[in-house]
Amino acid sequence: MFGLFKKKEEPTVNCYAPCNGAVIPISEVPDPTFAGGLLGPGYAVEPDTTAETVQICAPVTGKLTKIFKAGHAFSMLSNDGVEILVHIGLETVDLKGEGFTKLVEADTHVTAGTPIVAINAAQIHQAGYPLVTPVVFTKPKQIKEIKLVTGEEPIVAKAILAQD
Amino acid sequence: MITRTVKVASKNGLHARPAAVFARTVEDSGHAITINFNGETADADSLLDVMSLGVECGDEVELVAEDDSLGDFLDELVKLLATELD
Repeated sequence: MFGLFKKKEEPTVNCYAPCNGAVIPISEVPDPTFAGGLLGPGYAVEPDTTAETVQICAPVTGKLTKIFKAGHAFSMLSNDGVEILVHIGLETVDLKGEGFTKLVEADTHVTAGTPIVAINAAQIHQAGYPLVTPVVFTKPKQIKEIKLVTGEEPIVAKAILAQD
Repeated sequence: MITRTVKVASKNGLHARPAAVFARTVEDSGHAITINFNGETADADSLLDVMSLGVECGDEVELVAEDDSLGDFLDELVKLLATELD
């Protein structure tokens, strides 16, 4: 009978941080486009700005659909069909690839935590670009809610999926 | 089928904010529009597809609607792209 009171399990995508660092809600990203949710709901991580090399990893398991030419962003389609964009730093498209090294080709299936792009964090930071790295769910209609979680590393966020 | 061409005015091209404003406008309309650039075609309502075209400031893109009655909507999109959205 306790089953009657048990909340039905909602479909959820477990998300890793793309790298080590403090995890913040998307609303705290210092860029109105991301903070305002225009690109979709999500979360962000603040990488170590002194490190020569930081590996930016897949936040979910799924297909790496695209790596942008400048290496500063990549997109994924999770195994659950959720579309995700990882944007490394802010306004970093201007760097035209300087400080970004692609490690994986697009159209590859990867597991959460697989390094996708290596960055020279110190160099990008010194060039004056914030390194805060948003992970956004670019089809907002797929997502009911993003919950940040602690104590479940490497999982740092759970995307609760919208149901029809 | 009807088409329009327009030069993208935003200084970062169709990246982050301008791409989002454009794709969300198309998505909210529910109309089927494609955007062509440099031999590639993207669904205009997909933010990721639009961003990955790599359109830069001053580049000319083509908007296409299969539905001939969407001229006014295409004109609205042309105005949007010809505006600095960043």
